[in-house]
Amino acid sequence: MNQADVAKLVSQLRIKVNPRLRKFRSPGGPEERLNKLRKTVTALIKHERLELNYPRADESRMYAERLISDAIRYGDCHKETMEMADYWLIEKQLVHKLFKVLVPRFANYNTAYTKIYKAPTIHPETRLKAVLELRGNPYPPLLPDMHHNRNLIHNVLLDEAKKAYRTRKYAEIAAKIDAAGQNATEETSK
Amino acid sequence: MAGSLLIRFNVAIHRLELAIATVLGRRSPPDGLCLAGVPIQEHQPRPASAFSLKDLLGDGFLWGVPTARRTIERRLKRKFGDPYYIEKILKPKTNIRTCNTCGDDHLAGVLCPTCYKKVIDETKEMQEAIQNELQLTPVEQEVAVLYEGEKDEKPDDFWEGKR
Repeated sequence: MNQADVAKLVSQLRIKVNPRLRKFRSPGGPEERLNKLRKTVTALIKHERLELNYPRADESRMYAERLISDAIRYGDCHKETMEMADYWLIEKQLVHKLFKVLVPRFANYNTAYTKIYKAPTIHPETRLKAVLELRGNPYPPLLPDMHHNRNLIHNVLLDEAKKAYRTRKYAEIAAKIDAAGQNATEETSK
Repeated sequence: MAGSLLIRFNVAIHRLELAIATVLGRRSPPDGLCLAGVPIQEHQPRPASAFSLKDLLGDGFLWGVPTARRTIERRLKRKFGDPYYIEKILKPKTNIRTCNTCGDDHLAGVLCPTCYKKVIDETKEMQEAIQNELQLTPVEQEVAVLYEGEKDEKPDDFWEGKR
């Protein structure tokens, strides 16, 4: 069938988007569910790092990523995007933050804008807890930075490659010096 | 023809009278139905019985009760556990890892509790400080959180564009 190309209507989100909604046991129905998610998204953009339950974190992450990706794609002069930001962000100073701070920060990102971690729980708490944060936040990192760990395979390979390159270069330079020295002795002997 | 009409008219009126009598007062049979010699029985008021749970719950004769004897296999499985029924054997957790930073143990896939506690306490303090500083003003620049004397450590253009 001739299916219209709908892939380009929305920016590709770099997180796994669950097609099934989580209802969250809201007595007020879908309206209450959306209100709660709105509060969570507002809090995420306000504080940039939140502790909450895993299902709620996962659900609001999808909405937050979509909001930020739309803001980046269309900018603040686009009416629909501004209305969307106005709906999702309850505190209006955060609309300024979204378009003036977060859009420049995330404009050239190739990864997702948020990160979710599973938080530890103390018995008898059994519900799965999560920490949801925006990347590039000013707080200390939750996981240690392993980019410079020499024992990780990518660093092992890079170090070996550097060593091999260096030995090759030294050999070339040594060969050049030898060649230059030989030419000099040939000329003097002539 | 006129005569039958009249008869029908009389019957209709009589019926109407009966209907009115029944509607207004059900205390005694209507006059036409009273037997000579039989006293008129007033309608007895129903005795107001005290409410008892027995009326509500009954004897329990038809409640959910076991219909068959539990077999010895079932009884032993409940008591001692069974892999397909209810496991009662203590199994060791194989998903415990040691944190490389602090050396404490934690579940795989979950953050280390000691490291997490330190980071989250600091984060909360920073968040409080930020909100006290910003209040409800529109946020237009990146926020950088400084400790005492930190501003002098880094060159000035590191702080450019940040509050």
